[in-house]
Amino acid sequence: MNKFLADVKKYKSYMFYAAKSELKSEVANSFLNWLWWILEPLCFMGIYAFVFFFFFKGGVKHLTAFIFIGITMWEFFNKMLKCSVKLVRSNKAIVSKVYVPKYVLVLEKMALNGFKTLINFAIVILLMFIDPVTPSLHILWAIPVMASFIIFTFGVCCIFLHFGVFIEDLVNITDISLRLLFYATGIFYNIADRITGILGYVLVRVNPIAMYISSMRNCLLYGGAPYWKWLIVWTLAGILLSYMGIRLIQKNENSYVKVI
Amino acid sequence: MKNIAIRIENLHVRYKDLAAYSVKRMLFKGARNKNKSFHALKGISLDVNQGEILGIIGKNGSGKSTLLNTVGGIFAADEGKIDLGGRSVSLLSIGVGFQKNMSGRENIILSGLLLGFSESFIREKMEEIIEFSELGTFIDKPVKTYSKGMYSKLAFSITAFLETDIILIDEVLSVGDEHFKKKSSAKMKELISDENRTVLIVSHSISTLRKLCTKMLWLHDGEIKMIGDTNEVLTAYEQAN
Repeated sequence: MNKFLADVKKYKSYMFYAAKSELKSEVANSFLNWLWWILEPLCFMGIYAFVFFFFFKGGVKHLTAFIFIGITMWEFFNKMLKCSVKLVRSNKAIVSKVYVPKYVLVLEKMALNGFKTLINFAIVILLMFIDPVTPSLHILWAIPVMASFIIFTFGVCCIFLHFGVFIEDLVNITDISLRLLFYATGIFYNIADRITGILGYVLVRVNPIAMYISSMRNCLLYGGAPYWKWLIVWTLAGILLSYMGIRLIQKNENSYVKVI
Repeated sequence: MKNIAIRIENLHVRYKDLAAYSVKRMLFKGARNKNKSFHALKGISLDVNQGEILGIIGKNGSGKSTLLNTVGGIFAADEGKIDLGGRSVSLLSIGVGFQKNMSGRENIILSGLLLGFSESFIREKMEEIIEFSELGTFIDKPVKTYSKGMYSKLAFSITAFLETDIILIDEVLSVGDEHFKKKSSAKMKELISDENRTVLIVSHSISTLRKLCTKMLWLHDGEIKMIGDTNEVLTAYEQAN
């Protein structure tokens, strides 16, 4: 673990500079340039709000913010996992020429996607003023929920990075699993309202992404608390997964180049 | 007593049981393809003193690049160990981690950070790198607009000015047009001839190795065939081939 902390310190500047460069290069040729970082999520939010308001009439309070929180957190997890599974292969030009701790590549992607997530949460805050949410101190619980979500995502991504090097099909398996998880997470609807009984209970709590999203919605929009018991369970699981992922990478990373 | 910069003891590197496997192959042909085993380095032991320029020669597939990559920490040793005594090491390579949409200037920082240098050190060296690369105003244009020659010039300048204690060179000695080739070759010689710097060079060019190296290693099928005086080893190698 000391090596991990030393590596993070050593490559901190690289992570942020590379994330910044990638962000800039994504919009470098576009006319509106960095405005796309704000316009894109705003447009998506508008579309989802329109579709779900007029066609589904979800009956959910603060619907736009409700959907937007779901999409923002889901997109972070989805993008992170999809890129992690092929991260070593897609960085072949780097990893075959210079030693770089491979979890640094995960952290760099987290910085990149984290920036976009931050913009989205700024929009959520704006929405909380437009469609006024009753202010409550429970909003502060969003911080531990987000911290736990980040640790959990990092752990899962490190493990997928490792196995993604050795198992060619993991990219396809990940895509299919993520699609299934998407529908079991309740991005556009409230699982607790739609699926009652034991299945609803299990989906909201045992599915970590649904638990994080529901907890975040409770804290930010409905003056409620996170699902404490499950938040602690998934935080511990996230720490364990991160520890296992870091150990797996440290033990095997110098063999990755031999495979790719 | 001479200072040992690189100590390699009983180094084995295998490309075995590591090939990526697919679920289909696992289902129909068993878990692993057992035929894909290759013993690239078979128990190499040697010391390289600080300031020495060790040339490595051998046929294709003899383990030269594997040895270089293992010393550089890019490959793992399956057995044995490599001790660099905490010295910094870099594999001289062209265009590590270039972001093609970013400017040359930004790519200098990105490559330098990737090689483990601090941002302040890279900024200190920035003007020297830009001047040497002869890119002029192009340095602030996206790298994707560069010609192949310009790209190589920038990449060479970065690696030549961001120096480490141990430099590993794999066939990259000069790049660009005739004028830049001469300049880069001279810069490379200047880098190599620093008496505190230890250099490992892999090359097929016997004349280059004869000119530059103070010691020579001949690898054959992953084993040391001969090591010692440059002229003696190269003469023996020429006679055998």
